[in-house]
Parts: sequence; structure tokens; C-alpha cells
Amino acid sequence: MSAPGNTEPTDLIARARTGDTQAWGDLYREFAPAIFRFCRRAMPTREDAEDATMEIFMKLRDKLIQYDQTRSFTAWLYKVAANHCWDMLRRKKARHDKDMDDVDDVALECPEPNQLEKLIEERTSAEVRKALDTLGMRARMALVMRYYSDMSYDEIADAIGVRRQFVGVVLLRARHELRQALGENSALAVGGTR
Amino acid sequence: MNEPDMKSGKQPNETHVDEMTLLMYVERQLDREVAQGVSLHTQTCTRCMTLLRALDRESRLLTRSMLEQDEPLPARLAEFQEKVKRNMQWIWGVVFGLAVLGVYALYTEYIVPWESQFEQAGFGSTNLLNLVVFQGAFWKGWQSMFSLFEVLAVMCMAGFGLFAFRRYLRRGSALAVLFTGFGLLMAVATPASATEFRKGDTVTVKKDEVIKSDLFVTGEHIRIDGEVDGDVYAFAHQVDVTGHINGDLICFAQAVRVSGTIDGNLRAGANNVSLSGSVERNVMVWNETFNLDSSGKIGRSLTGGGETLTLDGKIGRDFLGYADSTNISGFIGGSVRGSGKSLSIASGAEIDGKATFKGQREPSVASDAKLASPVEFTKMEHKREERTGGYYLWRVIWTGTFILFGLVLTGLMPKFALETVDSAGHIGASFGLGVLVFFGVAIASIIACITIVGMLVGISSFMLWLVMLFAAEVVVGGIVGQWIMGRDDDFWPFFLRVVVGIAAVRVVTSLPFIGHWAGFVVTLWGMGAISLALYRRLQPTLAPNIPSAPMAPLGNPLPPNTTVGGI
Repeated sequence: MSAPGNTEPTDLIARARTGDTQAWGDLYREFAPAIFRFCRRAMPTREDAEDATMEIFMKLRDKLIQYDQTRSFTAWLYKVAANHCWDMLRRKKARHDKDMDDVDDVALECPEPNQLEKLIEERTSAEVRKALDTLGMRARMALVMRYYSDMSYDEIADAIGVRRQFVGVVLLRARHELRQALGENSALAVGGTR
Repeated sequence: MNEPDMKSGKQPNETHVDEMTLLMYVERQLDREVAQGVSLHTQTCTRCMTLLRALDRESRLLTRSMLEQDEPLPARLAEFQEKVKRNMQWIWGVVFGLAVLGVYALYTEYIVPWESQFEQAGFGSTNLLNLVVFQGAFWKGWQSMFSLFEVLAVMCMAGFGLFAFRRYLRRGSALAVLFTGFGLLMAVATPASATEFRKGDTVTVKKDEVIKSDLFVTGEHIRIDGEVDGDVYAFAHQVDVTGHINGDLICFAQAVRVSGTIDGNLRAGANNVSLSGSVERNVMVWNETFNLDSSGKIGRSLTGGGETLTLDGKIGRDFLGYADSTNISGFIGGSVRGSGKSLSIASGAEIDGKATFKGQREPSVASDAKLASPVEFTKMEHKREERTGGYYLWRVIWTGTFILFGLVLTGLMPKFALETVDSAGHIGASFGLGVLVFFGVAIASIIACITIVGMLVGISSFMLWLVMLFAAEVVVGGIVGQWIMGRDDDFWPFFLRVVVGIAAVRVVTSLPFIGHWAGFVVTLWGMGAISLALYRRLQPTLAPNIPSAPMAPLGNPLPPNTTVGGI
């Protein structure tokens, strides 16, 4: 798994694990922007993202000693971030969001390929981010985990608490939701009926 | 899965790979054989190839959109912070509401009744502050207090400035700024006004002697036969004034006799006070017996408390008295407001204002006494406090005020607040120390005030004692909250526990019969906990690198069901 824009700062991590506050500070400065962006994509508001970022790093500092140095630090970091964000979302909205229910098996209508291509061509990154904000929590979380932090299906399944076989369904459903949001008020809306 | 799922497309004779399978193919999640099947199919099927390409482009669009750095890192995340500072703007609305409630409660419960009492005593509400605080002998004390406040304020501002610009100041320049500030303060400080100090077994200001300053005097027996052109502060067994004081006389003594003239006010705490001379302004006395002789005269009002008040002389304005027994046979130019066991208005008495008495027995009024109106009598009965809806409403308002107070204390001293609540966990030690502090500090403050050098110490100790008295409930609320909800040292969770604890404590202290006792226990317990925390703070470290208290567990407990990196 590759992490967005980071190589493994092995020495820094080793020093931070021994309690070197300077190293911890450097580690924080190196990874905080990426984790904040992750949280910003996953959480509903900027304030939530800021809180989540701080809490994730507090957890990380306490749990750094448990990190297995033979594995990717960045992958571990995103796993912690994803778990924390999902916990926060679950605590905040568990009672309200139907999206938290088990994956249903309602069939999704296959999009018209040309219309889908056109939609993707015409939409900018900013529009995608805006549309992302309108998605349900699980849909957004799944997309962020997969396409921002490049997490595996197993990791996504673990984080959002579904069986591995359903991760694909969750992602596909999320894409349909996203297309719906992107094509809102437009004849370009494709598929995505739920 | 060996064959890709084929579903009917729009053309009747053509089958296509479904979207899910294509997505799995793009995501490289298919088995090798199935993936090969999809690959073969898309080479011949334009529709599926187009959809496959669209899905792939969609994936890349998603990644690109999410990775774009559209927002800078917020300032509060620039550096790692030990404690989470949550965005809780809503809390300020609550705080404002509590503050309004608190101010309203303070105004209604304390200020209005006190203002009314002082008004009755002849201190007009319009110039109440002026009379009580900014005039007379007390004012001089306040003046020095204000100097202290000014110095503290300047120091606080300087500290804030140093903190704000600490990154630009090296240690040397910071010290230079600090010392320059002190130097300037010393340079602009107003020199203290002259006060004459006298001390001895018997101190006498002789008949032909004139003292052109304030006089601070202590001794066994003090006689002022001459003239003092200022205020007199006297601490003695016996004080006799036969001469002339142009300012106020403030004294603590066994017996005070004034047969001379005081142009200002007389304020005395004594066993026996006898006034056969004149006081041009107000008299405020707290004593066992006060006797205003028939030749005695008070220009303005008399406020007195004690066992027996005998008023044969003349009072220009109002009389406010709290005494077991009050006897009036002289002249009172204003109103009378008395409270106590008995009131007797004898023959020859004259009261030009309204007279009210609240006591156990109906006042005895001589038939030939001259009263502007009959005495309004309210019988004082010792009955159980009625607990109506209003009572409980006020309890709620005060609970809100305590919560606000708790927020302020916790916000100002978060670490000390935690230490204090920890100390409250040692119930026995806290309670024992609380008993000592509750009685000991109050008594020691009064004793310190009586000595010359101890005035500042006494007042400061008393102020600290008062703060501890009010903070006690907050501290006990903190520990009770932790018992109820479990320990959490973060600011807002900790404060939430304080709130819950205060509410619980207020419920217990509102219970009939045991409520007052519970409140007293809470006060002792809380005061003890604060004292214990202070004591621990002031304890010297025995040796470097050896913690004086048990180490707290590292980090904070995580919320239940929280996963960390799958661990």
C-alpha cells in the first residue's frame, strides 16, 4: 500500500518511540497535513476534522510503542486515522443515519457508459469534493479509505465493520451516490437508483 | 468465480459484464481466471470497454480530487498539543447564560437587600458607595489596596506581553524588559502619606497637643485629650476620647468612651461603648453594650449590633439595630429599624420617621413617647424553612452560578483544579484539614488584623478563606462527578464531571433536615482539599528526579469500542 506523498521516516519513528519529543514534533509536522486532509474528506465539518486530527495524534503518541516496525508506518497511520474517524462518526450519528445499517442487496442500475464518461470528463476536482460532502457517512468513508489512503479491502472491511465481500458493494454504491450528487439537477445523472 | 457475471444489456442478443465485476477488475480484486475472462470480453465488447475505462477514470478522478491540497493546515494544528482543544463555541452561550443568572442571583439575593438595609440606616442609595467606600478612614486603606491592584495589573500585562512575544525575546532581553518595568514602577510609585505610630501601656495625646496626621496607636490604655487632625486607629484595652478627632475613630477595644468630639465616623468593635460626646457623621458599633448618653449626639445614623443598645441621646438620622435588647429614650431624626428580642421606647423618646421592629416580643412603647407612626411589629418565629417552588428555583439558579464559577476556576487553573480534586479523594485528610482551616484561618485573620503589621496579611488571608469557602463546593463536585462518571483529565470531560458533581452535591444540600449539615460537611471537605493541594504544591522536592506524588498513568483512557490501528 502506498501512502500519499510520504516515504517512511524510519529514524524519526525510532527516536519518537524512545520518547524523543523533538522527533515526535517532527513526525507530527510531517504527517499532520496528510492526516488532516484525510479527516477533512472523511468528516462532515472542518471542526470535526481538526478535532479528529488532534485526537488521532494523541492516540498515536500513546500507541506508538505498539507499532510493528517491520510494516509500513504510513499504512498503520491511516489505519489508526480511519478507525478513529469511523468511531467518531459512529458515535455522532449512529442513531440517525440509515447509512449505518447493514449493506442491503438492492440491485444497482448499470450506468450508460458514454454518459458516465461524459460526466467524469466534465466534473472538476472541486466539484467532486463538494459532491463527496453530500454522501452518507459510510459511502464517503469507504471512498476516502480506498482512494485517498489506498487501503485494502480487508482493511476497509475491518474499519467499517462489514464483511470483505461487501466492500465492493459499498464502494460501488458510494460511486453511484457520488454520480447522483454530481449529476444533480443535470440531465447527466446516471444510474444510482437505490 | 470462474466466469464473469454477464447480464443483459440493451441489445437483446448481446451480453455484458456487470458494473460490479468491472469495478472489481479495475480494483484488481478478481481471481486471476475471472480477470482473464473480463479482459477477453472487454477486448471485443465496446460497451464494456467504455464502462471499464470510465470506471478507471472515475477512480483516478476520485484520488486526484481527494489528494489536492485545497486547504492549508489550520493554525491550531500547526504544533502538537498535549490536550485536545475541542471546538465548543456553543459552550460560550451556556457560559453567558450562566453568567447572567449569576449576576441576577447576586444582585437579587445580596445587593438589593443590603442596599435596602443601608438605606434604612441612613446611607442613601445614591451615595452609598461614596459613603461606605470612598470616604472616611476606610478610604485610605482602599487607596493602598488600589496601588497594589495597579501594580498587579501592570505585572499581569507585562507577563502577557512577554508571553505573547516570547519567541522574539531572548532570555537576556526578557529580563531586561522585566527589570525596566519594575524600575519604572518604583519610579512612579506614590510615596505613602505620613501616619504617626504610637505604642505603650498607656498612650496619651495630651490636652494641648495637636497631631497633624493619622494616628495609629496600640496599648493598654489610650487617652486622646488633645487634637488629632486625621483618623485614629486604636487597638487597646480601653480607649478614652475627651479631645477632638477631625477624622474617623476606628477602634477595637474592651471599652470605648467618647466624651469629646469626632468630626468623622466612629466605627468600633468593643465590649462596651459609651458615647457622651458627639460624632458628626455615622456610628457603626458591634459590641456587648452601647450606651448613647443623654448628652451624646450622633450627627447622622447609627448602625449597631450586640446585646444591649441604650439610646438616651440624639441621633440625627436613622437607626438600624440588631440587639437582644434595645431601649430608646432619646431623639431619632429618621426611621428606626430594629431586630432582636425586645424593644422598649420609653417616656420622652421621639422618633420622627417610620419605626419597625422584628422580634420575639411586642415592643413596649410609653404612652407619652412621640412617634411619627405606631411601631410596625413582626413577630419572629423559629419555624422550619418553607420550601416552595421559588426556593427550588433559586437553588437551580445558584447551581448554575456555581457551575460557572467552576468553569472559571477550572479554566484559570486546570492543573491545580485536577490536583485539588485528587486531594478531595483523600476524604479523611481533607476533612480534618478543612476543620482546621475553616475555624483556624478565620480566627487567625481577625487576630492578624488587630496587630499593626498583620493588617495586610489578615485581610489577604480572609479573602483567600472566602474564595476557598465558595470554591469548596466546586471541588467536592469534581470528586463526586468523577465517582459518578469515572476519571477523565481532559478539560471538557473533567468540567462535565464537575458539573454533574455540583448538581449532585446541590441536590444533597437541598434535602430537608440534613441539607444544611451536608452543606457544612461539603464546605469543610472542599476547603480541606484545596488546602491539601496548596500544601503539596508548596512542599519542596526532596531530591531531583524523584516524583513527590505517584505518577499518573500515561495518556488518557480511550473511549470504549475504540480501535487503534486494529490493535
